[in-house]
Amino acid sequence: MSTEFRGQAPIPYVSKLSDYYGAMGHPPYRWTVNDAAPLRPLPRPVRECRVTMLTSGGISLCAMPGFDPMARNDHRLDAIPADADSDDFQIHDAYYDHRDADRDLNCQFPIDRLRELRDQGEIGSLAPRFWSGFMGRIYDRSRVVEESAPAFVAELGKDEVDLLIAVPA
Amino acid sequence: MGLVCRVAEESGISTVCISTGRDLTAQVKPPRSLFVNFPMGNAFGRPFDRDMQLRVLRAALALAEGATEAGVIVDLPAAWPQPFDFNPGAPGG
Repeated sequence: MSTEFRGQAPIPYVSKLSDYYGAMGHPPYRWTVNDAAPLRPLPRPVRECRVTMLTSGGISLCAMPGFDPMARNDHRLDAIPADADSDDFQIHDAYYDHRDADRDLNCQFPIDRLRELRDQGEIGSLAPRFWSGFMGRIYDRSRVVEESAPAFVAELGKDEVDLLIAVPA
Repeated sequence: MGLVCRVAEESGISTVCISTGRDLTAQVKPPRSLFVNFPMGNAFGRPFDRDMQLRVLRAALALAEGATEAGVIVDLPAAWPQPFDFNPGAPGG
């Protein structure tokens, strides 16, 4: 597939972010580097699966407080009703340019498209809740692995989720 | 985010990560990743580009269903039409 690619080379985010945070006086970020990954095969075809989606892009319902755009170590996690109106969201995150997503949430968090795929039968069902949290600049990653991520996964279990679509930003 | 996917997978829930940062993803090694070489904030393309939004989602779902190799990164064969860069803290953030 990649041989067809005609665009620019991928941006070197690791060096750019190290420079950016270094210039702000933050301690050097110790990047997580893993040599192996776990893999849980999907238990059934996607058209029979229950699916949900998680964004880390500082996206919240207008009825909720905005995320802190400069947050560090923010473990806030919002549950979002799966029937939420895509025009009823706000985005607060200084980390990336979200002007396009401000106009159409679906270019970063495509909840309308997911509902269409469900309605067309390409996805079995959607979980009752989508999710927003785990914003960038989390320095206490052991707390993610030991506390916040397992708590989140327990909620996915309550919703009987088969597949999580994760969209980092 | 990749860490969250790893924890989910270890707990028996399958995941697919849609990444705009290929080097970041390669370091963390989530279980399955679709790399989309679009600006961060445009993982599914341009506003109101319904076809591209669906294309990215369908590619992610196909990867979720078909992946057999842990830590795989699949490159979506699509290019952003203009050069782009990454400027955290710039206007628009």
